[in-house]
Amino acid sequence: MLAIQTRGLTRRFGGRHGVQELALEVPAGSVYGFLGPNGAGKTTTIRLLLALLREEAGEIRLFGETLSWQQRAPLREVGSMVETPSLYPHLSGRENLEVTRLLSGGEAARIDEALELVGLSADATRRVREYSLGMRQRLGIALALMRQPRLLILDEPTNGLDPAGIVELRALLQRLAGARGITVFLSSHLLAEVEQIASHVGVLHQGRLLFQGTQQELRRQHGDPLIIRCGDARSVCDGLFGLGEQPQLLDDDTVSVPAPRRADHEINRCLVERGHAIHAFGRRPHSLETLFFELTAQGAGV
Amino acid sequence: MSHLIRALRAEQVKLRHTLSLWLVPMAPLVIVLLAVAQFSFANVHRPQPFDPVAVWKSFSQGMFLLWNFLMLPLFVTLQAALLAGLEHGGQQWKHLLALPMPRRTHYAAKLCVLVAMTAAATLLLGLATPLAGWVVMQVQPGYGLAGAPPWAWLAGRSLASIAAAGILIALQGWVALRWQSFTVAVSVGIAGTVAAFLIGQSEKVGRWFPWSMPAQVFAFNGVHLWFVVIAGLTVGAAIAVFALWDCARREYA
Repeated sequence: MLAIQTRGLTRRFGGRHGVQELALEVPAGSVYGFLGPNGAGKTTTIRLLLALLREEAGEIRLFGETLSWQQRAPLREVGSMVETPSLYPHLSGRENLEVTRLLSGGEAARIDEALELVGLSADATRRVREYSLGMRQRLGIALALMRQPRLLILDEPTNGLDPAGIVELRALLQRLAGARGITVFLSSHLLAEVEQIASHVGVLHQGRLLFQGTQQELRRQHGDPLIIRCGDARSVCDGLFGLGEQPQLLDDDTVSVPAPRRADHEINRCLVERGHAIHAFGRRPHSLETLFFELTAQGAGV
Repeated sequence: MSHLIRALRAEQVKLRHTLSLWLVPMAPLVIVLLAVAQFSFANVHRPQPFDPVAVWKSFSQGMFLLWNFLMLPLFVTLQAALLAGLEHGGQQWKHLLALPMPRRTHYAAKLCVLVAMTAAATLLLGLATPLAGWVVMQVQPGYGLAGAPPWAWLAGRSLASIAAAGILIALQGWVALRWQSFTVAVSVGIAGTVAAFLIGQSEKVGRWFPWSMPAQVFAFNGVHLWFVVIAGLTVGAAIAVFALWDCARREYA
């Protein structure tokens, strides 16, 4: 079951493409990290998914139901926070939730539940203008949860948060996705954060989706680099060139071979036979950050 | 309809602790204080020929003219800007418009609240007028206010003033919702009110200018009363429908 499915989703702004032929597939129950550099079209996509923008071409389905500018009924399954949380600073946290509850038609008990879930029960009667940024962000998520959504769409939810706030938010999202089975679709610049929380990732560049799938699939597709720690990295580098590999000198005693042509044990044997002192030899998993930059660099070259 | 009721209840919560809410009693109170001060300290003459009902009407008309000419257009301007500003300020639209509710409902609720607040303030003025008259009776008995206030006349003119402000309310509401800038809404309102000072004095064109229409309920012996009431209700409703259509078709980019 797909929580979000788009086919050929396209939206232009003037002559410039916001998103082009987007084919998102977000499995229900997943945490989907939506990545891309500034201007890639992440916010445009999110606004299309919330029917805040008209789609120019293509189709959006939320849990199998068609969503469009005119057909907004599937939004009943969605809670959202786009960039900064939409809060009334002159009202208390509870009153802010009350506004959304009245508009959404939920039960009054949902307010206490949402406050407890985001850890704001004790501050519920304080005016929002007195809240810290992290508290506002959590209240924004509580607003998104007021409708008991099956899908949570969050655009840059970590914006402006300090490290403690980021950790809190991560724990909250993990709780929501794990215990409650809510599908979380989030865009973020913080790749390390997405790496820790997301089961699936989508990489958007210049309005086009360059990759989507699980993090494991992404790593498999790109292969982990071979890292060799040795006494004399320059001479090992020369040796590897002699073997027909394309090594990269990382520092005085570390060499990386991003995509080895020979088997690892064969490279090791050749280097030892040629008298190189090898201290450590093995694959180092790509970080999501490295993969992201590789993908977007390839995308820019297209 | 249930969507609109829900949106109106939400508006009620949003208005807590706001200047908007305070303005409803404060604006007519300012008029009452000004009128009482004027009649208490100025040299006033008993209208001739003396007729207590005519004196009451003259007194009430003085207060309502000040309201309809100056305070009502400014009140509508400020209220519209403040009500819309609640949503523009914190970029609330992206949250509201992503709710599974027709877009126009949010705008309709705003216009309803603007109408309700204008009506409440005007009716409060109608209710406060006899009170102000009683104070004037005590401090300036020479003016000749006596007997019971003309309640029916006051109620009729209060309702007529609200109806005559229909176009003004719809226009200011639309401008405030359509443009995010507080300055745009306030500038339009102030420009309209200032222009109404000149245009409203013309018997010929005063009744056509939205910002001077409420004043026409009393101006020129109320000769244009029914025109501004009917135009306010019908054209005001038409502009409100246009405003809902225009706001609801706009994307939140």
